[in-house]
Amino acid sequence: MELPELTLLDGAMGTMLLAAGLPAGAAPELWCLSAPETVTAVHRAYAEAGSRVLYTNTFGANRVKLAGSGHSVAEVVTAAVRCARAAAGPDTLVALDIGPIGQLLEPLGTLPFEDAIDIFRETVEAGEQAGADLVVFETLSDLAEARAGVLAAKEHSRLPVWVTMTFEATGRSFLGVTPASMALSLCGLGVEALGFNCSLGPAELLPLVEELRAWSGDTPLILKPNAGLPDPRSGAYAMTPADFAAAMAPAAALGVRCFGGCCGTRPDFIAALGETLRPLPRKPVQRRYGVCCATNAVDSSAVRVVGERINPTGKKRLQQALREGDLDYVVRLALEQQDAGAEILDVNVGLPGTDEPKLLAAVVRALQENVDLPLQLDSSDPAALEAGLRAYQGKAIVNSVNGTAESLRDILPLCKRYGAAVVGLCLDERGLPETWEQRVEIARRIRDAAMDAGIPQEDLLIDCLTLTVSAQQEQARETLRALRFVTEELGLASTLGVSNVAFGMPRRETLTAAFLTEALHAGLRFPIVNPGTALVMDAIAAHRVLSGQDAGGEAYLRRFAARTPAPAPEQKHPTEMTVQEAILRGLKAETAALTAAALETMQPLELIETLLIPALDAVGAQYEAGTLYLPQLIKAAAAAGEGFALVRAKIAAQGDSDAPSRGKILLATVKGDVHDIGKNIVRAVLENYGYTVLDLGRDVPPERIVDCAVRQSVPLVGLSALMTTTVPAMAETIAALRQSGHDCRILVGGAVLTEDYARQIGADAYAKDAKGAADYAREVFGT
Amino acid sequence: MNPRLTDIDPAEALRYLGCTDAPPEALRRDLDRCRARLLDCARPRLVWRSFPRLPDGRLEGTDWTPAGADIAAHLRGCPHVVVLAATLGAETETLIRRAQRRDMAQALLLDACAAAAMEHVCDNFCADLAAASAPARLTARYSPGYGDFPLSEQRHIFALLDVTRRIGVSLTEGGLMLPQKSVTALIGLGAPEGARTATSCDTCPARAHCMFRKEGRSCGTP
Repeated sequence: MELPELTLLDGAMGTMLLAAGLPAGAAPELWCLSAPETVTAVHRAYAEAGSRVLYTNTFGANRVKLAGSGHSVAEVVTAAVRCARAAAGPDTLVALDIGPIGQLLEPLGTLPFEDAIDIFRETVEAGEQAGADLVVFETLSDLAEARAGVLAAKEHSRLPVWVTMTFEATGRSFLGVTPASMALSLCGLGVEALGFNCSLGPAELLPLVEELRAWSGDTPLILKPNAGLPDPRSGAYAMTPADFAAAMAPAAALGVRCFGGCCGTRPDFIAALGETLRPLPRKPVQRRYGVCCATNAVDSSAVRVVGERINPTGKKRLQQALREGDLDYVVRLALEQQDAGAEILDVNVGLPGTDEPKLLAAVVRALQENVDLPLQLDSSDPAALEAGLRAYQGKAIVNSVNGTAESLRDILPLCKRYGAAVVGLCLDERGLPETWEQRVEIARRIRDAAMDAGIPQEDLLIDCLTLTVSAQQEQARETLRALRFVTEELGLASTLGVSNVAFGMPRRETLTAAFLTEALHAGLRFPIVNPGTALVMDAIAAHRVLSGQDAGGEAYLRRFAARTPAPAPEQKHPTEMTVQEAILRGLKAETAALTAAALETMQPLELIETLLIPALDAVGAQYEAGTLYLPQLIKAAAAAGEGFALVRAKIAAQGDSDAPSRGKILLATVKGDVHDIGKNIVRAVLENYGYTVLDLGRDVPPERIVDCAVRQSVPLVGLSALMTTTVPAMAETIAALRQSGHDCRILVGGAVLTEDYARQIGADAYAKDAKGAADYAREVFGT
Repeated sequence: MNPRLTDIDPAEALRYLGCTDAPPEALRRDLDRCRARLLDCARPRLVWRSFPRLPDGRLEGTDWTPAGADIAAHLRGCPHVVVLAATLGAETETLIRRAQRRDMAQALLLDACAAAAMEHVCDNFCADLAAASAPARLTARYSPGYGDFPLSEQRHIFALLDVTRRIGVSLTEGGLMLPQKSVTALIGLGAPEGARTATSCDTCPARAHCMFRKEGRSCGTP
């Protein structure tokens, strides 16, 4: 489908239906069934005004929003396509219009990504069946929802796919998406056109259009804004058709090819666009490339630090966390690297005996919920890469493809399908190349294969392979020589796992930093390093000054200004403090230091009994007395948690089987409830008190709770519900637990509950706060 | 009337934490840091519309009559009703969720600051509305979930104001709002003498389970 240079879309549907007598607040989609001639009359008015693409009246025609309407998605969509087709001339396209599902996706909401894909699939299939010419997703503010829509349409139909999202004047969507992230992700998925609708008036959107164009290249752009801003008192829009058209006209110079209107626009607005719009010479634009997560795009024209620490090779603690599904630990590694200056995170979860596809997807979800950095998915398993890429809401880097026929065949199509950048590793069937020429030859082969697979060469990062100088000293020169050639002659970006070079040598960071400096000089763009190593990050900061990337050396100055020693803390020296004091004051580092010192002379279990538990008892007593408040109780528990962690580590080191736990507790916020901070506080306190907590999250159906309690033989189940309306779900969960015959105690909590109410719904106990929950746990476990 | 968030009342934030006395110094310092972070992060947004109220309680131009005896009593005699939806935005939601991973005590303080900030935004809106509507008097805000005004009425407010599209708040199937720090409310305009123009324990939705009342205290609301 080749679009003309300027294509007129239509204007608002809702505004017109309201004018035709639809009551405010009613579902407009149902009029396709009950008053099809009214809907067709609106379409016809737009066609007569010059619209060449008519959007069907199906904004909310999905199974979630139509639930309870008495009509199926297929019924409504079929009728809607018929209404539009009846008004469309031979050269007018009918676009199946799809708005947001109406439920927020995870992690802010509770709708799983794959469920969102399935909801969109149903609407798209009905639209194609009914004869729509293309699919347009509009008014989205969540990149995950946009990706779900595009994947549904691409995987379940042959229709072209357009996407327009809604932005605020701040340059972001409600969920923080930037035009750069939108363009990188959606162009990567192969949308036929993209742009903005609704949001603001035309004038306010033009700067965002410029930004979008820089990141989306030649993909046609769509602009369908509101008729200015509405009057709050009445909801009416004030812009005239002539003003609207005049404000839209400059967009033709910014790559916009599809023009229409959203809220408040009518057929006379479209007619005015037809009279006013003229093709304009394109304004030159600085084309930009990069990778992104939903809220942060990283431009690949400069040096970018890739954090290497999420990789279990040789890391016992991370291996254990991955085996146990302890994603909190993985998130902590990510946060530390982000704080230390990483701009992209490499994520490798390959560990024998684990389900790598499942684990990689879970880690990707946990990371994107907690850090604003693009991810580099590091695996050789195509199934794991696909699971990770699917779950990743942005444009990722795949690490890696190599020069073997098998790798090129399996990995490149995945990168193309999900729109990822890819690392090309310079090795092939012959093994590790020994000379720089062999590396370059493989790099060329990978480049050609990538371009054949439809991956632009800007999305390829060549890895010339770092070997260790302790084993193959001469290879360092070969790597650097190849790197220079790849940069200067092939014009490709590069990456390198820098730290390998110093393996087995003393003062590794010195050698690593020196090699890094030489590699940066040779053109290295994406160094994969440990951002926690100061020498390495210093070398990068210095390079950024010398290369001019750090204009005025401002970042360099800031970095070293922060190094001036901080004023001495006012706290007492740890040796002058007892463990109990440190815990009472919520001082983590001091508690850890004092516990470590005590472990020199005390047995671990004795330390728990005589120091940690009594300290927590003292905290509890002060809390009860009202001299210490909840935030302080939580801090004290967190400090005690540091102590428990050291004790557990000591016991593990002594070789005893399992580290001690005071007992296993399941926690969940019940179905229908999304308020979970109270439950999360209880979890933090119980964990820090030495219990093992299985946290099932929020909006958890009864059957999942029962299943987990039974399978894991949990003796204590804690349930939370905040709203009067969700307490029945709590009662239902308790009934299901009782009915299962599983022997456990049930503790409940939440703002609207009371002791009496808890008994009424069959709970064993009610806790008014986290302290109450800890007290009850002690009663149940006797420790 | 643009959303205004200029300050977060520390006393109000502390009330949400159950602290009505002077807080310990360390807690006060932590709270001040959280107030500053929240003020920096929050992007309050609101959308509202005024509807004439027909004698049978229906809002003119719609097919909605707010359900329940309590809201009817609250709005009785008011010729207009302002329907309001406001939020601190997804930025605040993300800030609090992420803080729970790093430092739960801080997350709790941020959550309390956010609750106070949301109130502050709504209070400012009502003050601006009162100034613009003078001499007509305003009733207090009344939200779905108060009294017998059911949470299921949320969907009408969402449809009337196009809340999701205009300010980015979604409604769960059970009628809860996301981002969580969001408010919907009805305000009677042109309230007759004797109408409830301020909140009190008598009309408070938390009356039955208020932690202060359980202890024979009050949160400070007159």
